Amino acid sequence: MAPPRTVARLLVAGLAASTLVACSGGDGRTTLTFFQFKPEAVEYFEQRAAQFEAENPDIDIVVDNVPDPETALRARLVKDDVPDVLTLNGNGTFGELASAGIFVDYAGDPVLEDLNEGYVKILQDLGASDEGAVNGIPFAANASGVLYNVELFEQHGVEIPQTWDELIGAAQTFQAADVTPFYAMLGDAWTAQAPLAPLTAQTAPDGFFEARFAGEATFAEGWREAAEKELELFEYTQPNPAGFGYQEGTVAFAAGESAMLLLGSYAVPQIRSFEPDFTVGSFALPATDDPADTRLVSGVDVLVTAGAGGAHPEESRRFIDFLLEPDAVQDYAEQQVAIPALAGATNPDPALAGIQPYIRQERLVGFDDHQFIPAIPLGPLLQRLLIDKDADAFLDGLDDSWDRVAQRRTWGLGAVSS
Amino acid sequence: MATTAPRTAGTRTPSAPPPGIRPDRTRLPRAFYWMVLPAVVLFLVFHTIPVLQGVFFSFTDSPGYGEWSFVGVDNYVALFTDPRVIAAYGFTFRFAFLATILVNAFALAVAIGLNARIKFKNTLRGIYFIPNVLSVLVIGYVFQYLFSGAVPTIATALGIDRLSTSILADPQLAWVGILILAVWQATAFNIIIYLAGLQTVPVELYEASSLDGASSWRQFRSITFPMIAGFFTINMVLALKTFLQVFDHIIALTNGGPGTSTESVGVLIYRGGFQGGEYGYQLANAVVFMIVIIAFAAFQLRVLQRREVSA
Repeated sequence: MAPPRTVARLLVAGLAASTLVACSGGDGRTTLTFFQFKPEAVEYFEQRAAQFEAENPDIDIVVDNVPDPETALRARLVKDDVPDVLTLNGNGTFGELASAGIFVDYAGDPVLEDLNEGYVKILQDLGASDEGAVNGIPFAANASGVLYNVELFEQHGVEIPQTWDELIGAAQTFQAADVTPFYAMLGDAWTAQAPLAPLTAQTAPDGFFEARFAGEATFAEGWREAAEKELELFEYTQPNPAGFGYQEGTVAFAAGESAMLLLGSYAVPQIRSFEPDFTVGSFALPATDDPADTRLVSGVDVLVTAGAGGAHPEESRRFIDFLLEPDAVQDYAEQQVAIPALAGATNPDPALAGIQPYIRQERLVGFDDHQFIPAIPLGPLLQRLLIDKDADAFLDGLDDSWDRVAQRRTWGLGAVSS
Repeated sequence: MATTAPRTAGTRTPSAPPPGIRPDRTRLPRAFYWMVLPAVVLFLVFHTIPVLQGVFFSFTDSPGYGEWSFVGVDNYVALFTDPRVIAAYGFTFRFAFLATILVNAFALAVAIGLNARIKFKNTLRGIYFIPNVLSVLVIGYVFQYLFSGAVPTIATALGIDRLSTSILADPQLAWVGILILAVWQATAFNIIIYLAGLQTVPVELYEASSLDGASSWRQFRSITFPMIAGFFTINMVLALKTFLQVFDHIIALTNGGPGTSTESVGVLIYRGGFQGGEYGYQLANAVVFMIVIIAFAAFQLRVLQRREVSA
């Protein structure tokens, strides 16, 4: 038997050797990690990665599709393991990470030139590593409003609502005809945020979030109308709204069980996968009684970015340029019923026809719920509001969590800097 | 328990070493140290150091990456006034106490049954152990389907209004669903421990007591239970510790909802720390929770073991 010390040395050497082996790729190809967040687009991005590998034999792309991507990404960041290239949703989490300087700055980069400026601005407003920095490249946008069953609307002679009262009127017409006006999916808390975004954007006073960040406004005042209107919408749902989730809701809508669905364009591919025998249409949710005030809530659904200080900036850049080829962006948008983030591009899909005018006239606002950092439990509070129907508890809960979170962190709340 | 068993077997009787074997005597213990070393190193590197790192970061406002600064005990102060945290502790304790009591009551009853002279004893023991082998997440989804699909359908058919909607969608009742899943899954493991305990009870005791005319309840109270008191202690401590850390059950059934009504401390740490980006704050929560669990385990051990000795 070897003396113990030798055994230990051998062990240590063996361990060290095995880690070395794990690090080197072996065949001299550069390996890029591509963190892909969108579960609906796994196939598209895997195909693109394969095409890229075929054209660039020196690069190997590892596509990393994970469930619960934002949590997975945070866990990677804790380990200082930033992926080379990422797709992300343009939301509060992106803003928070961008402000922390996790991503490359694309300000002034020619890659942004062909893109829709509005969407670049939306990303900038979510958060940036520096003043004027652009930490993500918009790829595809979505819009949140109302999806509707075109045939059912015609059958019952309902016009597209232009005002809040017309929307409620339409809901009442359907209810009287024993058709569920809106299918509620409260089992998944986030689905309740879809109608909340247009409601708050159109009913809260201008500059509400700037004032809220500065501590000069409260949800209890600014969001009261929106909370009450959200409650009113949920009076026209199927019984037991909390018993069903996104999956059941989209299935039921596709089966013609409800006239409208309070969701954005992103749900259309899911609905179509159940093969509805009607046309899916969409319109912007009117929250006031003046049609001219109606705004379409639109945000960046998919952005592409790279980790700052990545080991292979040149290769990552080649891959990003490849992903952003205009034809490919347009293809993606048409497949996913999204709005391409290219300047002047449109998507002829009939499901987007109703909201196209708003995009053309730039009557757009961002998602208000993207101003929330995830530490504030907006989703759960909203779910609770729609079950308990207590607007005061919801609004006070928001104000209270907002203040508490603001108080216990020194590096700001993310998006709009105070 | 066998606290007073004489320790003879295995102990080396000190005898004068024959001359020349002295070096061996010093080498032997050293070999033992070497055998223990890998475990100690692994434990230190993968457990103790991360724990200390966690404690360190609980004094910062770190989101887990990027810049951070020291905030002293601010996180701890904020914890004690955060209604969401307090609600999570309340839910966790209520759930853990109820689940511990139910699991031990059921497990003890089933174990006594399975220990009796019944037919198909071994098959039944196998069947009762199955829930323990299954992953909580997997059966969690099965139970979720039951609670939100099968149960309401049956209840509607029978005309029971209270259960005609999913209990998981009701903020007042959702915890019951989680409790049912947890108890169903955890009872199996405690049954095994109780069975092992019951087999240590000498048959003569029962024979003697039945000669004295003791009822079976009296036998259970005066013989069975005191004799397996040690196993009872272990089961209580382990069950409480496991249920205080309840996590998978909730993720599978309600994800903390509706609202935040079934948010346990574990779920809150995960949601706030990893999803919410409040790494430092939730680490402080985790440190407090760790101390609470240790305190409970220590308290339980003291109380229950004292009872064991006097029995």
